[in-house]
Amino acid sequence: MKRHTYVALLATLLSATAWGQEVSLYGTTMAEIWKQNIPGSEQATYTAATQYLGIDATKLGSDNLSLHLFGWGVKDFGDSSPTIYNGSPNGSYSGGYLSFGYLQYRFDQANAEIKAGRFAINQGTGFEQVDGVSARTDLRGGFSISAFGGRPVLYHTQDLSSQLNYDFQKDFIFGTRLAWRLPQVTEIGLSYLEDGTHAAQNLPQPTTEDFTRRQVGLDLLLTPTTSFDLRGRTVFDVAKHPEVAPGAPAHNDIAEHDYSATWRIGSQVAVTGNFAERNFFAYFAGSNMPSLFRQDDHDMFRGWGGKVTWTTEANFQLVGDYRHTHRETFGDSNRLGGEMRWTFNDKAVLFGLGGHIVNAVDTKFVDPSTPYLSLSYKEARIWTLVTKGQFSASLDGILQRYDSGNPYLAGVQNVYEVVGSLGYQATANIKVSGDVTYGTNPVAKHETQGLLKAEYRFGSAKKGGQ
Amino acid sequence: MARNTILQVLALVLGLGMMTACGLVSPEASFTPTHNYALGAGRPICTECHSNDLAKGALKTYATFDHTPTFVKNHRFQANQDSNTCAVCHAPSFCIDCHGGKVPMKPAKLLADRPDRDTPHRGDYLTLHKIEGKLDPSSCYRCHGRANNDQCRACHR
Repeated sequence: MKRHTYVALLATLLSATAWGQEVSLYGTTMAEIWKQNIPGSEQATYTAATQYLGIDATKLGSDNLSLHLFGWGVKDFGDSSPTIYNGSPNGSYSGGYLSFGYLQYRFDQANAEIKAGRFAINQGTGFEQVDGVSARTDLRGGFSISAFGGRPVLYHTQDLSSQLNYDFQKDFIFGTRLAWRLPQVTEIGLSYLEDGTHAAQNLPQPTTEDFTRRQVGLDLLLTPTTSFDLRGRTVFDVAKHPEVAPGAPAHNDIAEHDYSATWRIGSQVAVTGNFAERNFFAYFAGSNMPSLFRQDDHDMFRGWGGKVTWTTEANFQLVGDYRHTHRETFGDSNRLGGEMRWTFNDKAVLFGLGGHIVNAVDTKFVDPSTPYLSLSYKEARIWTLVTKGQFSASLDGILQRYDSGNPYLAGVQNVYEVVGSLGYQATANIKVSGDVTYGTNPVAKHETQGLLKAEYRFGSAKKGGQ
Repeated sequence: MARNTILQVLALVLGLGMMTACGLVSPEASFTPTHNYALGAGRPICTECHSNDLAKGALKTYATFDHTPTFVKNHRFQANQDSNTCAVCHAPSFCIDCHGGKVPMKPAKLLADRPDRDTPHRGDYLTLHKIEGKLDPSSCYRCHGRANNDQCRACHR
């Protein structure tokens, strides 16, 4: 969207708030400082201010019409921002973004609603940001239908020449989902997504960089009894692709299977199993970083695992989990671990403890002759959050211990981070807090970061929103 | 060409939809747009207050929406099917903390004072991503594959 269109849209939306009978303004103001410590590189100090700002205005002339705006801006006041933030050792970082800004009309009947503007939508095949219109409604007989259309929100690609193709190809996005619900038993959804209408192979000067997607999704929830549920989705790639070379393996048109089943045993124990499979050629379609998320015909991921959760009436929760992963071109790994949580005094004190072991000795390419040079690591975490009156305090420590000699980590073996935070809830709608983070960076040097935060909400706030 | 076809199909569907909408739309009243009161820290269990009846609108039991560890990990399924039910308790900005097309900082830093929240990338994830990205790049793709990857480009050129 062009800058002047952006400004005009924002001005129109902001002026609409004047009609609102209930207007809430909320935001978070943050100031942080830290010094990047990388040997051989000039030390850069990051002194940034970040502002999140949102507006909810309801009852705009009608009880059913509302406006929602949210965005952020950041400015580094240091001489030069760390390379991690701007990709360049010189020059300070600044930026901003309108996350969403839309008008919404909710009907009194059938949970129907219409949105217009910039919004995020999670429907069927995936999560999209759109400048356009969306609508949904429940239908008779347990059916519901939803659709959206407009221009996809565009992002940066890896280089300027790619950006031109990207902007040209992604001119229009359309999605729809038809679902059927049988109360308490099932929901089945069928969805379609078309992201960009100018496929690379149809351009006047065809390119290999295809940023468009065409997908069909099937999502499912099945709860035959109150103690069991199965949910998940399968996404199919239905775009036309160039013919594969003779003798080469055909593309797998299934982008993703992703399923999870939970069985609740009594009131305290739940057992969950999950399975996922993603074929990279179909799954990575439409990426604006195709060199990183490569549509490799031969690569795929498959993972399966389980989780056992035990929740006692004494506000104690114990979780044990296991997951096996397989990547076609890299090998297998096993992840095993657990987590414990306690809550005391009506959630005034929360305490958690967890640990995981990732055993990746079956991976390929690291060094098959010396498998101990692997991607294996261990992770431990301990945290607490205490609230007393208007004050709150938290402490969070995390340690990752990597196998010695891991060639990807330049000799780094132990990485840790400790975060301490103090907060003061001045009023029901204003909270100030400060965080101090101490830990190691990717080159095993110690860094300390400080962050001050003010969170506030003015006006007639939405009761349940958080 | 394809765009025109889609627009024509869309117009046809809308036209037919308008003619038959009154007969097809559910006569049920919409459910409440917001929860009666804000919920405190920690993962809410809906069935602590609501009996295990059907949640109006969703036509699913309240237990379906209990924020168990499994629910938190797999909330993409519920968000996919019941985003308007999520909106009863969560403002859209709640999702944007992690799922914005662009975010100025990683969620773990934004929510450093909420260790109870299951935010991604706690600790020095910049180091860990060299391993996790090799074991399963599809897990990175969900958030960084088509958006929110300005910082990735600093190294992945």
